[in-house]
Amino acid sequence: MAVVIQQIINGLATGGIYALIAIGWTTVFGIVGIINWTHGEVYMLGAYTGFFLTTFAHMSLLPALLISMAVGAVAAMLLDQFGYVPLRKKGTLAKSGFITALGLSTLVRYSANAAFSADPRVYPQLMDYKLVTLFRIGDTDITMSSIHLSILVGSLIIMAVLQLFFTKTLVGKAMMAGSQDMQTLGLMGADSEMLIKVTFAISGALGAAAGFFMGTLYTIFPTMGALAGLKGWACAILGGIGSITGSLVGGLLIGIAENITSGLISTGYKDAISFAIMILVLLIKPTGLMGYTFEEKV
Amino acid sequence: MTKKKSEWFFGLSGKATFLISLVLVLVFCLLDQFVPGKTPVIPNFVKYIAVNGLIYAVASLGINFYSGYLGETSLGHAAFYGLGAYFTGYLTTAMGVNFWLTIPLGMLAAAAASVPVALAGRRVKGSFMVVITYAFCEILRYIVINTDELGGTAGIPGIQAPTILGVKITKIPFLPSNKDGYILILYAIVVFLSYFTWRFVHSREGYAVQAIRQDEIAAQAMGIDVRGYRLKYILISAVICSVAGSFYAVFANLADPTMLSATLSISIFTMLVVGGRRSIPGAILGGFIVVILPELLRGVQGILGLPFDPWYILYGLMLILIMRFRPEGIMGEKE
Repeated sequence: MAVVIQQIINGLATGGIYALIAIGWTTVFGIVGIINWTHGEVYMLGAYTGFFLTTFAHMSLLPALLISMAVGAVAAMLLDQFGYVPLRKKGTLAKSGFITALGLSTLVRYSANAAFSADPRVYPQLMDYKLVTLFRIGDTDITMSSIHLSILVGSLIIMAVLQLFFTKTLVGKAMMAGSQDMQTLGLMGADSEMLIKVTFAISGALGAAAGFFMGTLYTIFPTMGALAGLKGWACAILGGIGSITGSLVGGLLIGIAENITSGLISTGYKDAISFAIMILVLLIKPTGLMGYTFEEKV
Repeated sequence: MTKKKSEWFFGLSGKATFLISLVLVLVFCLLDQFVPGKTPVIPNFVKYIAVNGLIYAVASLGINFYSGYLGETSLGHAAFYGLGAYFTGYLTTAMGVNFWLTIPLGMLAAAAASVPVALAGRRVKGSFMVVITYAFCEILRYIVINTDELGGTAGIPGIQAPTILGVKITKIPFLPSNKDGYILILYAIVVFLSYFTWRFVHSREGYAVQAIRQDEIAAQAMGIDVRGYRLKYILISAVICSVAGSFYAVFANLADPTMLSATLSISIFTMLVVGGRRSIPGAILGGFIVVILPELLRGVQGILGLPFDPWYILYGLMLILIMRFRPEGIMGEKE
């Protein structure tokens, strides 16, 4: 029992990271209506920005994180500008958007491969390693390392800020409205292009933060975005597309499921479990845990 | 109905295209038999590229049924390709089954694997099917990697070249190189598939599927069996991709997990997009493009001394530009 609980605790930090990626996916999907396949690349760029800032500029954790998020926001806006804006102007985004995203993602991923080299990199140690005892079960201490704990708290803070932004500010409220009906929102006088740009910036900042957090835990490499991006999408689907709380729950659940799988079944299937969950959710309850239904109209 | 312009290469009729291509292929394969001299006129690596191009053309013609005529996006067709490759690899090496027998077995496996995908397609649509196909292929890859009998990440090496009437396909008399046998067989398959596809889409069923692609709800209201046709087209596309995989396994003498990778899935899908969805010559052309261009660029890389492979960077750029300026693909038709 204590082993299982320890596995669950171990999964929380990666779960928080997945939740951040998931929110980035779901906001863009809600507003623009396409699967933004480049999200994994923004995540990768965030991880690399963090690596360069901490390794070569010797920055400490917090400023490096904030700068990485800013870089991620700019990168996502540039990708939008370069890839999707021309299609939106032509009105072919719905048809050609996904393949453009595939192309953009390939372009960025392999450019990064050329620029940063394919060798995996490791972040320098950013904080003292310490095991924090959370609580005891019987005679066993349930522990969490300081870095895992900070990542979990960091992701939760970012999500709380985002939730406040969506519920308290005008732009945030407009985005929530836009994810339900972009066209009507345009008729109400909202500047939809501006909203889309803000959406991409937020999504990019979240993706970069996730990449940064992942870098503090594991090695980073230019093709890291492919798998993590998809896992984020799996979390978004599990939680329900369009719901921030859902993404959080989905992310944590998948992080935990991965750890339990690698602890109790086999490490080889650790990465497959999120895909299996995603397929099952789509088949059984396509709206996810907290999502709303998309109706197909004639 | 007005007469449309030819659907084949250079405005030629189907028959003319077939005859010209047949002559070209025969010349390509047999030329060195009649030209004296030790060094072949057509270098071996050109024939290597030709075989790979033909294998990809088969896969591309396969996915054309799903992504072309049904109009769905799939990032999982490497699953069927890899199933074919692994069936051939495992059955020939571990159980000594004849290669020609493993093709229909691989096809059966791919058909069986396509059914759950089709069933999933009844519950979810569009963007969500993209991730379902992708996840389906990834899960298969993880299963293969974690199964020791299938060689794990190393795959199954040492797959033998098949024989025809006791003659190894790489050592057929009168054929100058060891790849001509593959070229002729694959050419025959591509011709057969082209004809099959053409007959299929110009039949009652083809028009029904066209209606489904354009407006599914309206098609259903007209009494078209939407579910049945979807299942049928996914099945056909899976089966054809599995044949391509089987041939790739014997040609490369290897079946490994990269044949189930997302990269390959994306290649299979995008080569059709580049060539032109719903265009038979476009699908074939797309298959050749994704084989020829990387080889050319590898040459460029060698000449310039680049430390990285420029192919994927340019490929990404090519996809973006095609989507912006010619979204129907090189040979596709506007809808």
